[in-house]
Amino acid sequence: MPVLRLIKAYLRVNLQMALAYRAEAVVHIAVNLMWLGWELLSLTIIFNNTATLGGWGPGELVALLGVFRLVNTLMAAVIWPNTEYFNTSVRDGSLDYMLLLPVNSLFVVTFSRLTLWRLWEPILAVILIAAGLGLSGAGAAPLNLAAFLVLVLAGAVILYSLWIALIAFTFWFTKFDNNVTILQALLDTGRYPATVYPTWLRVIVTFIVPIALATTVPLQALRGELSGPQVALFLGISLLSLWVATQIWRRGVRRYNGASS
Amino acid sequence: MLRIYQRLWQVTWAEQWQYRANLIMYLLYWLVSPVVYLAVWSAIAEAQGSVNGLTANDFATYYLTLLIVDQLTSEITIHAFGYKVQDGSLSGELIRPAHPLLTNTLVYNLAFKALSLLGLVPVWAVLFALFQPDYGTVTLANLLLALLAIGLGFGISFLLGAALTCVAFWTTRVWALYELYAGVTVLFSGQFVPLSLMPPAIQTAAQFLPFQMFKYVPVQIILGRLTWPEVLGYYALGLAWLAAAWLLFRWVWSAGLKRYSAVGA
Repeated sequence: MPVLRLIKAYLRVNLQMALAYRAEAVVHIAVNLMWLGWELLSLTIIFNNTATLGGWGPGELVALLGVFRLVNTLMAAVIWPNTEYFNTSVRDGSLDYMLLLPVNSLFVVTFSRLTLWRLWEPILAVILIAAGLGLSGAGAAPLNLAAFLVLVLAGAVILYSLWIALIAFTFWFTKFDNNVTILQALLDTGRYPATVYPTWLRVIVTFIVPIALATTVPLQALRGELSGPQVALFLGISLLSLWVATQIWRRGVRRYNGASS
Repeated sequence: MLRIYQRLWQVTWAEQWQYRANLIMYLLYWLVSPVVYLAVWSAIAEAQGSVNGLTANDFATYYLTLLIVDQLTSEITIHAFGYKVQDGSLSGELIRPAHPLLTNTLVYNLAFKALSLLGLVPVWAVLFALFQPDYGTVTLANLLLALLAIGLGFGISFLLGAALTCVAFWTTRVWALYELYAGVTVLFSGQFVPLSLMPPAIQTAAQFLPFQMFKYVPVQIILGRLTWPEVLGYYALGLAWLAAAWLLFRWVWSAGLKRYSAVGA
């Protein structure tokens, strides 16, 4: 399988890059733990003053924080480094070489750069999710847990598709190199259940920049608030968005004619 | 001296005006977190009537005022100056007969502030319409009192930020240090929640630290939640920290400069 060999090669290159900056990684991990402390402190302050937030208890919000951190890792470890690389390669024309490779161009553009030292973050996120579930004491039903896992993936696919569409727009508007800032900017809304937000903000994070689909919705499934058809609907939306995004990407690549003269 | 500032202002303004699209994105990025906290706390306050004596309107006025105050007291010295030490472009500025940080970088900070305030105005108006806060407690006297506190807050934050950026003379990892500093600032300045909701230990520590001058104190003065003696007490604290920050900055700058040797051809 050429794709597997490609993944192996990318992992090796990225590992070498990560090892070159060991001290930086340690400092970043320390800073990240500090922010985790602040996040938990915020939750403590909130629940010192209220029993539930929009009907959600402290355990569920810790689990939500875990899911939020998963999305955040996707953003920081995959989306940012590859976007930076992509923007540079559009500007200086080196995208040509990526497009000429005999593999799926989308795969090369979106997965060639990975910030490997962030690998510990998803582990921490899973611990947070498990601890949150334990804290809420509900002990999710297996079916809800399955729906949760499926929807976390579906949410990630939706955000991935939005990202593809955003970077593909660079083919039409070359100066559009702020392409993912909008995604990053609204990410912070994922820390809390979208159900407590005022309607306008809920509409934005559900339909326009669907952060909530990757954070609040999976948690709702875990709480058993979603019916089977609804889970299927979200899954369908994620597949549809991936298809639309690949179409936009293909059109974009066809328009692309290199940066050189 | 005044002419130096005037010229620098013209140049810096023109330079930053080119990046206005980036600025909108930055504003959006920086705006979301306070708005999220506002939404969360208003929801709680509405469900319960009040939180620790604070109503939904108190939260709305707090966070919406915070947006403006934060813009006024924050500094971006590390972005404007840090790289100059590392790539050696500081050398060109050192031979000019004016302090690089206290002229060029200061004006850069101020121009950025002016430009982002310009961008904030329409966004703030939209937020005002959405949350409809009642600003009945604000008086002209409060605003004038707050102006001095904001001035002190910016003075302290600029000098501390500049001192921290000067650590770049010793190490290339100044960014990580800066992030640590930003974390401490967030905790003690009242950025997450009004300080009165924080755990008592943090509140007590915050009383002696300079960070509440960046956000919490000016906001409270504007909203008329402080008495005269309290305001004067904060002025005294602010002045003391301003002096301390000035001494710290002078010391780090002169020690760092001795270590500086330009890189490159």
